[in-house]
Amino acid sequence: MIGLTLQRREQPLPGGQVRAVLAGAFIALLAGAVLLLLSGSNPVDVYLRMADAAFGSERAWSNTLSRAVPLGLAGLAVAVAGSMGLWNIGAEGQIIAGAIGGAWVARVLPDADGVILIPAMLIGAVIGGGLLAVIPAVLRAQLGVNEIITTLMLNEVILRVVRYLVNGIWKDPGGSGFPQAPLLPDQSALPGLFGRANIGLLIAAAVLIGFGYFASRSKWGYELRLAGSSEKTAEYAGISLRTKIMTVLTLSGAIAGLAGGIELTGSSSRLVEGVANGWGFAGIIVAALALMRPSGVALVAVFFGAVQVGGLAIQVSGVSASIANILQAMILFGALAAGVFTEYKLVRSSRSPRAAVAA
Amino acid sequence: MNEVTLVGLMLYLAALGELIAEKAGVLNLGVEGMMAVGGVAAFWSGTEFGNPLIGLLIAGIAGGLLALVHGLVAVVMGADQVVSGLALTILGLGMSAFLGQDYVSLPAVPQFGALPLGPLKDLRIVGPIVFNQSWLAWVAVGLGISTWFVLERTRVGLGLRAVGESAATADAAGQSVVVTRVAAVVAGGVLAGFGGAYLTLNLAKGWTEGVTAGRGWIAVALVIFGAWRPGRTAVGALLFGGLLALEPRLQTFGVEISPILISMLPYVITIGVLTAFSIQARHRPSAAPAAIGRAYRREER
Repeated sequence: MIGLTLQRREQPLPGGQVRAVLAGAFIALLAGAVLLLLSGSNPVDVYLRMADAAFGSERAWSNTLSRAVPLGLAGLAVAVAGSMGLWNIGAEGQIIAGAIGGAWVARVLPDADGVILIPAMLIGAVIGGGLLAVIPAVLRAQLGVNEIITTLMLNEVILRVVRYLVNGIWKDPGGSGFPQAPLLPDQSALPGLFGRANIGLLIAAAVLIGFGYFASRSKWGYELRLAGSSEKTAEYAGISLRTKIMTVLTLSGAIAGLAGGIELTGSSSRLVEGVANGWGFAGIIVAALALMRPSGVALVAVFFGAVQVGGLAIQVSGVSASIANILQAMILFGALAAGVFTEYKLVRSSRSPRAAVAA
Repeated sequence: MNEVTLVGLMLYLAALGELIAEKAGVLNLGVEGMMAVGGVAAFWSGTEFGNPLIGLLIAGIAGGLLALVHGLVAVVMGADQVVSGLALTILGLGMSAFLGQDYVSLPAVPQFGALPLGPLKDLRIVGPIVFNQSWLAWVAVGLGISTWFVLERTRVGLGLRAVGESAATADAAGQSVVVTRVAAVVAGGVLAGFGGAYLTLNLAKGWTEGVTAGRGWIAVALVIFGAWRPGRTAVGALLFGGLLALEPRLQTFGVEISPILISMLPYVITIGVLTAFSIQARHRPSAAPAAIGRAYRREER
């Protein structure tokens, strides 16, 4: 009998993850094409229009890169925790907390100059996101409470906080009943860069590059990866796991909070319930595809930004924009499946000597 | 008061599914997506065929098929369960929005009807809470009891729990880890699909994008609240169901707290319960299945 079995490669395939992600994208496009065909659209036509909307012009690029900002920061937030083997599933909520923090600063300093107000709002956002992450950080570091569940639950809690704010004490009295906070002061808008992109893009790029450099060069970054690969080794090396868990999870939340601040000051002109827009969850996929590496996070974030912009563009012609979400998830599943082959190879296995000869 | 039981048992169906998967050692954070897909499948087929039973079956198949993706990726291939589960939620929400775009806000035609229990349903208080429920409510209760029975009193359940506690030991004893885990995940998906059917046909009475509104996360929370036990999970489901069902009405009882803040309670309570478990776990074994979240590859044991 001839069968196929997985055998571990002696060394992982070089560049394997890049190949896996590309394979995942290919699988996702195929699966998406089937769905589009079933719903009566021409998949080639839809994909070409998506690509054009994402990359076809300077304006298209500015849209793609603008969406890559929250995706990249959320992805980095997840990756920071992930490189120590911790899961921050709460980036979605920390983005909201960041936006609340930024909006609160704008309420306190409505007349401040933009040069002061914008940095103050972004700092407020960093603190907001960090504060929400302190809860799972303390619970995990001091009591060993599973951070996956606590961060997940806090998403739902903070969602209801912002709902309470925009429906209640922060509701815009002139908003004709819409559940939204009042417009932010004009000078709080992030300066534009080109097309739809604003300097949030530069801030995100600086954070990604800065953290990537710091994590790969510093003792702190080394200890982080050491703790991620083996807690025991790290403890023997005299690293305090509790302190590490505390700082890493809080930092992770602060980075996600920054994404919320940039969204608030850059794209939305007021605090609304949907400010996080699924970016925190997409960031988990981004980080996983990037194998928790900051450079990979940036690349995948731009790619996902393009998929989302493409999805919104085809919505106009009656194709559901949810195809973007389907594609993102399918890319991950495809890449996870393909990723198996970076560490394993398919070999023919034989159960009887005669079959081995025949093979 | 009828709605407390309705919401509670809808949550219970999904939570029971998650409990079965977790007992086998597989965390599935895709409940929200599986419920959404089950919900749209039930709405479409139930309306198309004019029969809620067909809607329920199709919803179960849809939820099970989606769960199979998690089974293949996270169990067979051994990818990370957290990432795979969350991607499943994103996939399920996307698929349901895509497939359901023509059904948005149409009225649901069939509903799961009430069992004819005659005068019992006219009893004060107990009547509407217990005896004026649809037949699916009784199915949910039956599924809870049979899950408990299978897990605690049969060889199949013993094997499933063994795989969730120590996959290598179960493997050495001749239990197929992969088959058991995939089966548990798929069973969980079927139950989440049932929960979605209950949601669109009897509670929301229609389909809109995002109709699940975080209820799948409550199902995940309920398993923890229930300490991985079907009975305790049922108590939690009724408690959380009560909070959600009463949320819009508390003000009519003269309660001054915003109903939005009340709706946070299930999640806050879950964090509290999980923290209490972690403190207890210092003195006695944890209630959680020991192998949860960990992929099993035979050559790496």
